[in-house]
Amino acid sequence: MSDATELQTFNGVSVGDQLPEILQAVDQNMIDAYADASGDVNPLHIDPEFAKTTFFGRTIAHGLLTLAFVSRVLSTWNWQGWAYGGELEVAFMGPVYPGDEVRVCGEIDLIEQRDDGVYARCKLVCYCGEKAVVKGTVICKIN
Amino acid sequence: MTDYVKYASLVEGADFLNPAVSFEVTKEVVDKYISSTNDSTPELQVQDEKGDRVAPPMLAAVYVIDALRVRVGPPGGIHAKQKFKFHRPAKIGETLLTTAKVSTLYVKKERNYVEMTTETRNQNGELITTGLITRIWGKE
Repeated sequence: MSDATELQTFNGVSVGDQLPEILQAVDQNMIDAYADASGDVNPLHIDPEFAKTTFFGRTIAHGLLTLAFVSRVLSTWNWQGWAYGGELEVAFMGPVYPGDEVRVCGEIDLIEQRDDGVYARCKLVCYCGEKAVVKGTVICKIN
Repeated sequence: MTDYVKYASLVEGADFLNPAVSFEVTKEVVDKYISSTNDSTPELQVQDEKGDRVAPPMLAAVYVIDALRVRVGPPGGIHAKQKFKFHRPAKIGETLLTTAKVSTLYVKKERNYVEMTTETRNQNGELITTGLITRIWGKE
């Protein structure tokens, strides 16, 4: 992010703006459907008897399913900037269990003018209740 | 029995997947992914002037992870971090080719970490997605 000029606002987008939040309930049917769609049939996700023998004690959702919810938020907010050049960097902080509700929150913390356009950086956190399960940042072009 | 990739066999800078692993972006794959993730993004349902329909950017989580399943570590590994850059969405009908390289190996809290860069192009060499995946390698 060198040779860039920081802005407080651009085209109606301002530092401190919240992205449209989503709440998504996750159940075993959704996890099974994602396993089928993605081909990731690790028994930790889809076999309750196997999952009982693991550290988690029960099945957990695929971490990348949670990222699909993040992508929905970004697609709603700024499809063009997200799908054509968007950058994501996240860490998986904890599991999502069947019965959890994932809340995806984002806030713009930087806007900058670069040589090829104006970009916004968003801080992202996915929560289950009060617990953060994914944290990271996203950068999208906004012009 | 599966031959797991041993941590000691990994070398920084070396190819992890080469030749590239291919993935067909079919309508069935895309529709299943959209349905399973409850994605109602309007742009995913329209065809452009050429009749093309794009896939969700995060379908990368399917085709990149699918490619990495060709060579796996021991059971118990954890996906710790993920970076993606979406150069453009994949389109239904494209064949995607993913390669991976080991970029960094390190030990933290007595656990073996592997960072791998990934690159996905379509059948014509157009860049679709680049990424960096951080895995905690399973105990051997």
